[in-house]
Amino acid sequence: MIIVPFCVHDLIMVNTAINTVPVTVLTGYLGAGKTTLLNRILTHEHGKKVAVIVNEFGEVGIDNQLVIDADEEIFEMNNGCICCTVRGDLIRIIGNLMKRRDKFDHLVIETTGLADPAPVIQTFFVDEDMQGRLNLDAVVTVVDVKHIHDHWEADEAQEQIAFADVILLNKTDLVSEADLAALEARIHAMNAMAKVHRTRDAAIAMEAILGVNAFDLNRALEVDPKFLDEDAHEHDETVGSIALVEAGALDGQKLNSWLSELLQTQGPDIFRMKGILNIDGEDQRFVFQGVHMLFDGRADRPWKPTETRKNELVFIGRNLNEAQLQEDFRACLV
Amino acid sequence: MPSVTKTSLDLCQRGHLNDYVTAIAWSSKQPTLAIASAAGEIRLVNPETQQENCLQEANGESIDCLAFSSDGQYLAAGGQSGQLLIWPIPPSSHSPTILSHPRTWLDSLAWNPTHNELAFSLGRYAQVWDIEAGDVITTLQFENSSILDMGWHPQGNHLAVSGHQGVKIWHRDDWDADPEVREMAAASMAIALSPDGQYLASGNLDRTLLVWPFDSADPWQMRGFPGKVRQLAWSDVTVGQAPLLATASGNNVVIWRKQSDASDGWDAEVLNLHEQRVNAIAFQPRSTLLASAAEDGWIGLWHKAQRANQILEGASQGFSILGWSPNGKWLAAGGQQGEWLVWQQSHRGRGFG
Repeated sequence: MIIVPFCVHDLIMVNTAINTVPVTVLTGYLGAGKTTLLNRILTHEHGKKVAVIVNEFGEVGIDNQLVIDADEEIFEMNNGCICCTVRGDLIRIIGNLMKRRDKFDHLVIETTGLADPAPVIQTFFVDEDMQGRLNLDAVVTVVDVKHIHDHWEADEAQEQIAFADVILLNKTDLVSEADLAALEARIHAMNAMAKVHRTRDAAIAMEAILGVNAFDLNRALEVDPKFLDEDAHEHDETVGSIALVEAGALDGQKLNSWLSELLQTQGPDIFRMKGILNIDGEDQRFVFQGVHMLFDGRADRPWKPTETRKNELVFIGRNLNEAQLQEDFRACLV
Repeated sequence: MPSVTKTSLDLCQRGHLNDYVTAIAWSSKQPTLAIASAAGEIRLVNPETQQENCLQEANGESIDCLAFSSDGQYLAAGGQSGQLLIWPIPPSSHSPTILSHPRTWLDSLAWNPTHNELAFSLGRYAQVWDIEAGDVITTLQFENSSILDMGWHPQGNHLAVSGHQGVKIWHRDDWDADPEVREMAAASMAIALSPDGQYLASGNLDRTLLVWPFDSADPWQMRGFPGKVRQLAWSDVTVGQAPLLATASGNNVVIWRKQSDASDGWDAEVLNLHEQRVNAIAFQPRSTLLASAAEDGWIGLWHKAQRANQILEGASQGFSILGWSPNGKWLAAGGQQGEWLVWQQSHRGRGFG
């Protein structure tokens, strides 16, 4: 089955080449604890040589020669097509850095608190020099659990949570357990795919943030089973997660046209999506992921005889209509 | 009259630096070549005497741009450290002039072809340094983005600076005046002014090429490239109406020939050889012999910019850069593992070689 992407580019988010440099994108508001976390990454004995691109002025690894400054620069192409929006500063600086690739084996990119994570992510899939040489490992978002409430209304705060693969709820010592649990539930409704960790001083095991392989399609779709089991979700925010779980087999053609239509009309509002699908007549699972209109899908391992064949999809986005998505998806069933 | 000789190149010198060869520059006055690496080394090589001179040892901070002044009196280098280094040539025992710009990766510089003025990029702005006065002449705000490339008009009176959404052209006689702007939708990755001063070309991130008559804001647009248009090279000889323009995009080299009528466009011819990304292209001075260096470890030599008549090797992990000496006698190239090689031109009579 082929799903056609909708941009003028042939956008296929595949990075199977070996010997690529993994990239961790670190987001969060100023003061959330990104610099503390960066310094932990740089000083921790994890055996990795880490290069860091910083966008916010902070006291980062002064002795480390591969800490590079960059200014966030958005390059738009193709009349503002959102998936062709990339970060020009990263293309330039990483182009320079890759001439020194023996000197590092992991790249961490810090974004400013005001950054939209999408152009950063898209840079690694859209730019020809990034494809095949780097692979996006994970988006890690640090949240200041006390001060996040001042920023809830900001698009950036919501996007940074929505795009994350790993969320650190930092400074847990500054709020009560009840507040923390409420915040965790709220964040969970926004992003059902992210792994959430509670931290103080951004103290976290390195394997929880480096080497996560969150964009690797071979990795199982990890959605909290509780989230999938719940029938109805409270969506206070405009940004939220929607999970669809359906038994049965899908008509490949119908699915293709539905996804095409969906990405064409709602691509800008769909931040991320992932899924495992049961296509009628196929013995293999079909797995996919997407960022805005960028779409990557392929046949995965065969279904096991003991497995119940079903379809699981998760969408994270803004103003998504759960009932409509559910209905349209069901219409693709055989 | 049909030519009875055929150009071929023979290896005459080679060496090794500690990391990726990032930049190569030839002096226009002496038979001297400067080579820099991502480990920070700068080496001077004289292919006539085979002498080598280490200007800077590896220091762990990449040198990314390198150029001799047009009178051959100075060599400028910049890179990861943010230091702009300027040596007198031949280098004296004194240390170089150092202009420090902390936290800035210097990746673009260009000497004025007619005056000892050095333009260099500092993120979103450029400066022009007067070497004799030892002073900054002007600071130019590009504004749209960091500067991606820059180049002087051959007559030295204009400086063109490229970045996101266009090329801005400042006049040397009035740096404070607003620049002329050549607008575009995407980012201009590489620019090149033709040696006759007639044309400005821009290779762009959105897989297009734009060419303007230098005094016009109305460009020809060329499409159909396999990737971003990353390298440009003009011939200094005119073929028909205009010099030849070579572009590198993905694995392809394309030669653009101006059609005969002034208002007509440019004909394209694709040169197929390379199996991986082409990283550098350059015409031999006073000739239409084009050299193309690629990640596949080959340098193609294209007779009349049409037919590959020789393939050079010597960088098994891929070539990163190349440059012809101004007299056309030598071709130097560098590789991704630090290899550098110099070939010398020989003319062999057909049938007698």
